[in-house]
Formats: sequence, C-alpha cells, structure tokens
Amino acid sequence: MTRRRRAERRRGLLLVAPALLALVALTVYPGIWVLWLSLQHRVPIFEVSRFAALDNYAFLAGDPRFWNAARTTGLFTVLSVALELALGVLAALALHGQRRGRRLALSLLLLAWAMPSVVAAKLFEWLYHPAAGLFNVLLAGRPLNWLGDPSLALPAVILADVWRTMPFVAILCYARLLTIPAELYEAAQVDGAGRLATLGRITLPLLGRILLLAALFRTLDALRAFDIMYVLTGGGPANTTETLTVYAYRSLFQMLQLGFGSAVSVVVFVLVMGVAWAYLRLLRGRTVAA
Amino acid sequence: MTRPIALLLLALVLGGCAGDASERGAVTLVFKYARILGPADPLPGLLREFEAAHPRVRVKGESLPWTSDEQHQFYVINLEGRSPGFDLMMLDVIWAPEFARAGWLLDLTPHLVPGELAPHFPSTVEAATHDGRVWALPWTMNVGLLYYRADLLARHGLEPPASFEELVSQVRRIRSAERDPALEGYLWQGKQYEGLVVNVLEAFWASGTRLLAADGTVFPEPARAAEALGFLRALIEAGVSPAWTTAADEELSRRAFGDGHAIFLRNWPYALDLFEAPGSAVRGRVGIAPLPGRAGGPRGAGSTGGAHLGVSRRSRHPALALALARFLTSERAQKAIALGAALSPTREALYHDADLVRRRPSLPAIHALARAGRPRPVTPYYLLLSATVQPEFSAALVGVKSPRRAIADARARLDHFLGAIR
Repeated sequence: MTRRRRAERRRGLLLVAPALLALVALTVYPGIWVLWLSLQHRVPIFEVSRFAALDNYAFLAGDPRFWNAARTTGLFTVLSVALELALGVLAALALHGQRRGRRLALSLLLLAWAMPSVVAAKLFEWLYHPAAGLFNVLLAGRPLNWLGDPSLALPAVILADVWRTMPFVAILCYARLLTIPAELYEAAQVDGAGRLATLGRITLPLLGRILLLAALFRTLDALRAFDIMYVLTGGGPANTTETLTVYAYRSLFQMLQLGFGSAVSVVVFVLVMGVAWAYLRLLRGRTVAA
Repeated sequence: MTRPIALLLLALVLGGCAGDASERGAVTLVFKYARILGPADPLPGLLREFEAAHPRVRVKGESLPWTSDEQHQFYVINLEGRSPGFDLMMLDVIWAPEFARAGWLLDLTPHLVPGELAPHFPSTVEAATHDGRVWALPWTMNVGLLYYRADLLARHGLEPPASFEELVSQVRRIRSAERDPALEGYLWQGKQYEGLVVNVLEAFWASGTRLLAADGTVFPEPARAAEALGFLRALIEAGVSPAWTTAADEELSRRAFGDGHAIFLRNWPYALDLFEAPGSAVRGRVGIAPLPGRAGGPRGAGSTGGAHLGVSRRSRHPALALALARFLTSERAQKAIALGAALSPTREALYHDADLVRRRPSLPAIHALARAGRPRPVTPYYLLLSATVQPEFSAALVGVKSPRRAIADARARLDHFLGAIR
C-alpha cells in the first residue's frame, strides 16, 4: 500500500516536472536575474559593470521622478479599477434587464475589450484631438487641452483605460447574474422587497466574489499599465502620466541603465505580488465565510 | 587603392565559400530598415538591382518597428543579446555614436576611400563620427524649418520673419486683422518626446547656447538655457502658440497648419509634399524659410535628422554588407529614393539635379536650410540625455516648474547618471 502510494507520488512528481521546470526557467530564473541586476551598476554598452549593493534602491528612495511615478501608478490603479467595477456592474445589470438585442450588446462590449490597447489608445488620441476630436467638438467653443494639460492628462488616460476594460468586468458580472436562480428573486418579491432592496440584499452580495476576482485581475493589470499612456502621452506632460513601468522602460531601453532599471522593475514586482497576496487572502476569507 | 580591391577579393572569397556550403550557392544579406512612406516604396526595386549586380547574393529586407523608440529597443535587445540576425541596419541619426561605443558597428574608417564622404552634408558625416572614426554612411537627410502662409504674409505686406520677436509681432498683426478665431499663430512640437528636445535645442541655438559643450559639460550656460526655455513657455502663455502645443507632435501640428488653421509652423521637409498635394487646403499658399534666431542673437538653425546605414560588427559578410550600404547611399539610389518618397538625400549635388527639382521644386531651397542645420549633440549617451531632459522641459512648458528650476533639476540628474558612466 505505502509502496504503491510512494510510486504514485513519484509518478506524479514526474508528470509535474516539465511544468515546474518551464515555470522555473521562464519566471524564477529571469526574476532572480533581474534581482541580481538591480544590485549592480550596469550599463553594458559603456562597459560599466560593478556590484552596487543597495545603491540603486537608495537612489530611488530619494528620486522625485520615481515617487512621482509611484503616485501616478497608485492614482491610476485606484481610480481606473474603481470606475471599471462601478460601470461594469451597471452595464451587467442593464444587460441582464434588457429583453432584446442582448447578443448585439454583448458583441459590442466584447469589441472594446478585444481591441489591443495600442489601437484603443490611437482611437482616443483622435477623440482627444484639440480641434477635430469628438470631445472638444461636443464642448463647442470651450475646447480642453486633454493631453497637454498636467491636470487633465491623467484623467484622460484613465477614461481611455476604463472604456477599454470595463467590458471585462461587465461580462464577468453578467455571467454571474445568469446563474442566480430566479426563485431567489421570486421569494424576495413575495417578501415584499423593492427593487433597491433586491439589488442591495441579493444581487450585489452574490456578485461579491466575482467582483473581487475581477478587481484582482484589473488591479494587477493597472499596476503594470504601460501601453495606453505610452501611446497617448508618452508619460507627459511634465511626467504626470508616467507610471512605474514606463519609468522602468525608459531606464532600461532608452537610458540603458540595466541595473537601475531593474531596481524599478523589482519595485513593480514586489508591489504586484503584495497586492495579489492581499487579494488572495481576502478571497480565501470570503470562501470560508460563505 | 589596394583596399577596395582587397575587399572585393574578400567578398568574392566569402561569397564563394558560402556558395559552396549551400546548395543554391547564395549568400543572404539581411537588411533592417523602416518602411518608407511615399507614393511608391523604391527600396524593393533597389535591392533587386543590387542582387542583379551580385549574382550570388540575396538581400532580404526586413521591416523595423514603426517608431524610433521601438526600433532602438529592437536593436538594443538583439545586439546586446549577441545574436543579431542582420548584416546591415538603418540607424536613426542620433544612435551612431552609442552603437559605435557599444561595439555593435563595424568601423568603416579603414574601408573608406579618401574623399568618399565629401559629397554628403558635413553635419551628417559628423553625426556618424565617434572618436575620430566613421561608423555609418549617411543615407537620408532631415532638417527643421519654418513654414509660413505666403498668402497671409503677402496680404499684410510682410516678409518671412528673421527673428522670433518679429514672428511674434507678425502673428499679432495678422490675427488682429484677419479676425479668424480659428487661426493660430505659431505651431511647433511641445509634447513630452524626442521632438520636444529638438524644438528646445533649436531655441537654445537661436539664443546662442547649447545643451552639451564640447568638453562634455551639460547646460554650460544654465541662465541662457533657462531664458530660451522661458521664451518658449511665453509663446504659449501669450497665445502666440495654442495651449495644445504641450501635446503636439509633428503630425498634430502639421495637420492643423495643413487645414489652414495657422500662420507659422516648425516642421520637417516631408510636410511640404503634403501641403502641395492635390486637395490640400493650403496648396500653393505655403512658403519655407530658415527658423528665425532671437533678435540681436545668432542666426537660427534647424536641427538635422535622418538616417544612416551601419554594418553590424557580427555580420558574417561584412564586405558585402558594406557594398550594399555603398550602393544604397550612392547618388543613383538616393535619387531613386528622393523621387519615390518624401525623403531628402544626404548628397548635396542631388538638391540641384534637374529631374529631382522638376518633381520637387523646393529642393534647392531646402538645400540651403539643410546646409545651415546643426546636429543634435553627437555623443554615445544622447538617449540618456534626451530621456532625462524631456520631462523637465515639458514641466517648464506647462508651467509646473520654472525654467530655471527645470534646467537645474535636469542638470543634477544628468550629473548623477553620467557620473557613473564617464
């Protein structure tokens, strides 16, 4: 019996091994390599390569461009995810309540979600066009400097991101709504619950878990946001839309500061891992409660 | 004289070896370049022509990503990874010293015939030179210039402005007389990107200062640099340039001017072909002039741009790759490119070539402007310089920082990063 179990275990390990190896080769090894790089002054093309201990991190701690990027990343993440969740739930409820044309509405939603973010960014570049853009045409006579005003650029980027990713939340929630048994609502009706009470007591609580999951995915994406601001504003004006990943990209591929850029990447990695861990704990807690 | 012959022999031997090795008897050269926009891409035809002259050689033209940033990233990853799958590469004019310093380019100096580069603009050769050696051949030329609405200036009896102060007063005069609220004054590129650095450099030169001194000091005259930056900010504050200048790149400003909504525009020569195209709102109403200087200061100069061709140091067929570079930068090839696309040649003689001038009558005028153009700082760490000053310049333009503060901050950061390299 025990021998058989041991053999089974061995076979199990053998079967997992390829996946494990691939994971190690594709994520753990590069991860450690980036961590190692971040402890060095390394600018390969100028033959600079020496151990720097925590120098890069010490510089980051006092680097206003880094703190600005961290603040922008935080603001972008909180605002865009909050808006996406709120609008996503609204869209899902609207879709659920719709009697006709659901398929069309779903396809339209999916269209925005399926669009590569670079394409979406280009589209918004046109919408934000100072003279001919839809937004300024609608504002007739009082045009706004969407992408060139330091106080408007980040909201403009967030709006573009919300438009593109809200459908993801909407479709997840819609799928969950479809699985809520109709009897629940009938029972609520019998008990004399109004529409608001039904929404607050039944629909939203039942959406909770899926919303948390959607929030997890969206938060992790938002923390690493790159292409939408890279295309729309290039991080400007005055770095008001430069996120940590944009900063890491510039340090790595333009300034060719491999050590320093890796340090920025490590910070992003730690941030993402921390947030993922917190969410997973929350999710687990909810499973136990439910 | 012996060198070219030796090279030729080497090419024959190399070609022969590869030929014996493979069944089809052909060497494949890979050429990385960005697709050329224009009525007809002349490149494939030129590559076939090269193949016809070199029977054992096949040339594979491979497209680069679209933007300069992505192209640079592509090269860095592939060249630093030491497995470049290409022999000849198109380089943005600002990269040659960096790539040379990194050891990615073949030193062309020993292979050049004396006087071989003399027909090209000196500034393009300067941009390809690092440590007194030549690392790439000049291929296409670009220069910043001033576009003006010839019809509007003529209606108000004005000549193209010689100084920026004059430009400002002309804008005020024309706009108050025209009473067209949609008519902007002076358009240029103030978005946070490489184009902003180009525009600020031109402002520096117009004020008689520089970003990088010959001895390597950054911002050798910070007060003057701050004044020049402040002047650009003042253009926006005074409404001479629209508020959206801080988000404007070449295309955004080119379209606004092309729709007839501005009096002056700073841009590259490519825009002229579009302004003169059938159906353009400003066709026949556009003039070009040198970028103005500041009143009482030196003459203005446009920044030069364009592309070089460099041979990868890891190419297995360096002699053939060089031959291809020579062919593509030859007078014949540059003429074909200038005829087929809105790109300007680096060979000065072509600006007075009868066929080309018939097709593009502005070429002789562009020649004078290109000759007066200045390269951006020629240094291996240009991109570090540019990526560091971009947000600071942008901050000064949108008024988040004072110009003086922006220059001081940029200097401090550059000192930190350059300190580790030098």
